[in-house]
Amino acid sequence: MSQDVTRRVAVLALAGGAGFLVRKAHGQVVWQVNASKCVNSRLGEVGVEACTLCTSSCVVSLSAVRAVNEYSKCGRCNICPAYFNIASAVDDKGLPSEKLCPRDAITRKAIGKIDPEDPSNNFYEYSIDEEKCDGCGRCVMKCKEPLGLGSITLRVRYDRCVNCNNCAISISCPKSALEQIPLRQALRPGLAQRAE
Amino acid sequence: MASCLPFATLLVVLFLPWQVFAQAIQYSRPVETAPQQDAIGGGYKTPAVQKTLPRSYWLQVFDVVMLAAALGVSVWLVLKRRSRRWLAGLAIFSLAYFGFYRQGCVCPIGSIQNVAAALVDARYSIPIVVIATFFLPLFVALFFGRAFCGGVCALGAMQELVVLKPVRVPRRIDRALGLLKYVYLLLAILFAIRPAMARDFVICRFDPFVGFFRKTGAPHMLMIGGLFLVAGMFIGRPYCRYLCPYGALLNWCSRMAKRGVRITPHRELDCGLCQDACPYGAIEQMRAVRQDCLYCARCYASCPNQGERARAKQALVSITGSAR
Repeated sequence: MSQDVTRRVAVLALAGGAGFLVRKAHGQVVWQVNASKCVNSRLGEVGVEACTLCTSSCVVSLSAVRAVNEYSKCGRCNICPAYFNIASAVDDKGLPSEKLCPRDAITRKAIGKIDPEDPSNNFYEYSIDEEKCDGCGRCVMKCKEPLGLGSITLRVRYDRCVNCNNCAISISCPKSALEQIPLRQALRPGLAQRAE
Repeated sequence: MASCLPFATLLVVLFLPWQVFAQAIQYSRPVETAPQQDAIGGGYKTPAVQKTLPRSYWLQVFDVVMLAAALGVSVWLVLKRRSRRWLAGLAIFSLAYFGFYRQGCVCPIGSIQNVAAALVDARYSIPIVVIATFFLPLFVALFFGRAFCGGVCALGAMQELVVLKPVRVPRRIDRALGLLKYVYLLLAILFAIRPAMARDFVICRFDPFVGFFRKTGAPHMLMIGGLFLVAGMFIGRPYCRYLCPYGALLNWCSRMAKRGVRITPHRELDCGLCQDACPYGAIEQMRAVRQDCLYCARCYASCPNQGERARAKQALVSITGSAR
């Protein structure tokens, strides 16, 4: 009989704990990169080597973090410091001869009213191939003040992210830039531009 | 002043062309603000930024339903059907679903830390699916024993399937090693309830099998996982019995269980075959120790009066019409 009593007490205790947690529970939580903490997108860190920990520490083989170009923030430059390696020698067209991305994930396309005479007079669209990008952050490091407008940031892609309880990238990130936030907040438009 | 002018000219002539050819262009950003589609013209439409969605919330709810269903089936298969074969089937299913398909996240074992953190940190809260994942197996254990361990836990199932030639661990050593899981539980909680910046989920970090589920992981953890599996061939389910922190909680809950695996004198033979069949040392003096029983139903499978063997005998009786 005393076992029945202890069991009842245990059931009540567990139910109480569960109830307490349910009251403050919210919906889905996901990991996301806080662009204002990430070394690659944070302002004031220019000319340093890009941090590639997102590539190397993620548990899935092609990292769940990728670079995203927020087109509405993109400067559409002729010579994009994230697309070209602007430290490389200039070729005969007046453009840098090397690309920055080691995986050649960024494509460059002239858009709008194209002026074939003067390439520097055109606007360009830079899009990042999700399948190729492994989130190394080199382009992110270049595309920010004063070189770029900061339209490229590192983002978690949820089709790859297994939502680890203890995100391996967050363990290794020296700036604690990976944060667990409610999904609703993560999908809010314009979060990618949060680089104040 | 005049004498150094030719020298300076010489310097410029020598170094300037060299620098122009070797150095890249002097980069300067041409724009201050981003041009929008009306400024770009030519009918250009700014494409939407790709946003990938996570697994749907309802699929996560479905995971919890699957967990509850698997717990129910585990209780039914062991306590009612007493079928080892079907329970092994359930274990394979759980390994495939919770392990390889869901990649081991989120599991009740790891959720200990989330629950601990959410209980003490007012700013840390967890989704309802995680709360359910943590509490469901505990409630089941309060009534039916460790049904979670038998056929539901993916980590347990992995070890369950490699048990090859288990040796009986001497009782003293078994008890001493069994204390490790309480130490581990305490450490895991202490690390989980630290302030947000210093919080660490050690159970997940040192999960020996999750690397197999994801087919990738830190080499040292994969090696430790492999060692656990090799050891598990001879020592039945070493992680579950000696390290699993959730096993410690289930151990406490199942002590109060109303029902569980029972070896009763009026239905069984008291022959001791079950005691030899139990790889986990959970049968003492021909009685199942509820808090150590991992719900594998091997005792029933080995019993001449129980499970499949008994049913086969009954079928034989109904065919030949004589009971021997």
